[in-house]
Amino acid sequence: MDDYGRDRDRLRLLRSKARLKWWRKIGASKETESQRREMDRVLRQPGEHPDRTMELTRRMFIHKSLLAGAAAGVASAGWFPWLNTIDLAFGAEAFKFVWVSDSHLYPKTLNTRFIDKLTRAIKEVQAMSPPADFLIYGGDLAQLGDPVELDLGAEILKEVTIKKVFIPGEHDWYLDMGVKWEKLFGKSSWTFDHKGVRFIGLDTVSRGPDYWTAKKMTPQERMGHMATLDGSVAGAWAGVGRDQLAWLSTTLSNWPKNKPVVIFSHNPLYEYYPPWNFWVRDWREVHEVLTPFTNVTNIHGHTHQVLYNEIGKVRSIGMLATSWTWPYAPEGVPTLTKCKVRVDPGDPFDGVGWSKLAVNAAEKIENDYVMWRKDILGDAPWDSGCADNANQILSPRLADREWPYYGAYK
Amino acid sequence: MKRPRKISTILGASLGLLLVVVSGPNPALAHKAKHTPEQLKAFEQAFLEQVKVGDMLFHGDGATQKRLGVTLSNTGMACAMCHPFASDTHPYTFPKFQEQVSKFATLRDMINWCIEKAAEGEKIEDDSDAMKALETYIYWSNRGSKLDPGRH
Repeated sequence: MDDYGRDRDRLRLLRSKARLKWWRKIGASKETESQRREMDRVLRQPGEHPDRTMELTRRMFIHKSLLAGAAAGVASAGWFPWLNTIDLAFGAEAFKFVWVSDSHLYPKTLNTRFIDKLTRAIKEVQAMSPPADFLIYGGDLAQLGDPVELDLGAEILKEVTIKKVFIPGEHDWYLDMGVKWEKLFGKSSWTFDHKGVRFIGLDTVSRGPDYWTAKKMTPQERMGHMATLDGSVAGAWAGVGRDQLAWLSTTLSNWPKNKPVVIFSHNPLYEYYPPWNFWVRDWREVHEVLTPFTNVTNIHGHTHQVLYNEIGKVRSIGMLATSWTWPYAPEGVPTLTKCKVRVDPGDPFDGVGWSKLAVNAAEKIENDYVMWRKDILGDAPWDSGCADNANQILSPRLADREWPYYGAYK
Repeated sequence: MKRPRKISTILGASLGLLLVVVSGPNPALAHKAKHTPEQLKAFEQAFLEQVKVGDMLFHGDGATQKRLGVTLSNTGMACAMCHPFASDTHPYTFPKFQEQVSKFATLRDMINWCIEKAAEGEKIEDDSDAMKALETYIYWSNRGSKLDPGRH
């Protein structure tokens, strides 16, 4: 046996011991859970629950590899929120729709890796038979808002011939404050009804506080800070804004309270992790508007990871990126989330993909994550993207708190 | 025949002992005086400076890369794009058997793997200023995490 073989054997033994410890540790970590519970208590009035027609079921889907781990999983989780088989409403007509987002395209001359992945997603969407009724592109088509990047994305998306709707991401917006994006894709928020479901596209990116004028930043510098997920210069930019909240309220005023509403947003509509804008800063106000409705599903991008949460009567499902995956934040991961598998950094197609969502004849929405690797979720702690970080304690940065600071992505 | 060997053994042992006593710990390295608060401040500043340089490199700052003569990515990528707050770098688990490189590896090995494979940049010297700065930023960002070397 060579040295590496001996190392491997020794480490295998050590790891098996560590795994036992790990299981115990995960069971003991309840701080985040108690925070989530408190938030839920504030929002959910006594006796309230998401509409019974939205009950989660245990329907499994295409990835058979999950079946092997199902017996163990069901004992601890009891059900499978990550599969998101959600009853939407009685009387809805069967149809499919598709979510693609977070492609972060660079100009072809610099980097083609992300172009390849969006192209693959688009080809797969176009190959669907029967086709989906529409595609929602959930923002961050470009990396640095460059018109070259946005044009390239629009060109790739042309391959899909079904109806397409768009909401912006922060990477699309802050070079020219959305001028090019709106020219290509129209209004940044909108609504339409489709087969008994009211769909709403929210713009959660364009109302960031002005951090650039006083510091006399160039548009490129403004964009660079916006594009740095863990930067503090752009601050809490994610928000719905008063004007859009009023519009949302008006838009929903003529919709029956028990009928299904699906809200698309780039950022999650709850507080997951503000330092990375894994939230909207006015999420409480959003939930106030939504409180009378018993059948609301929020589908969001930005977090580049498998996520599931319930706040009051609103369900949220996080979508995969086509570009790269983000690690789970150091705190705030919803306890209802079954975490994605620990991703192989050597495989650009791991941990990324898109989503097929179907409203079937039994009036359920089924969310199938189309990840370009067999395993989506990590059942064992050493394979889980969350449990893997159980020992991790992180500190916010220092360099970006000093001015002048120009360390943003360039 | 035996006596000379005995003598030479005794002589050898004495000489060895003498060498140990003479060479001993280098007095120049011993710290004799108590530290002043100013000294401690200076040590901290020297460290935090490296944290900031590492942070700039980690976030793809072009000027810092140029100054240190490194190209961490040829494709516009930066370490922080996959590792916000240096998360998922797991410096406290090194050294360990690292799957990606199929060998027992240090954090520096993994930093270079990421530079070459994920960011498509150019490998940096193990003991270069850029490597030390990157390592400093990663360790500082993860301080407080429990040491857990060898864990996958």
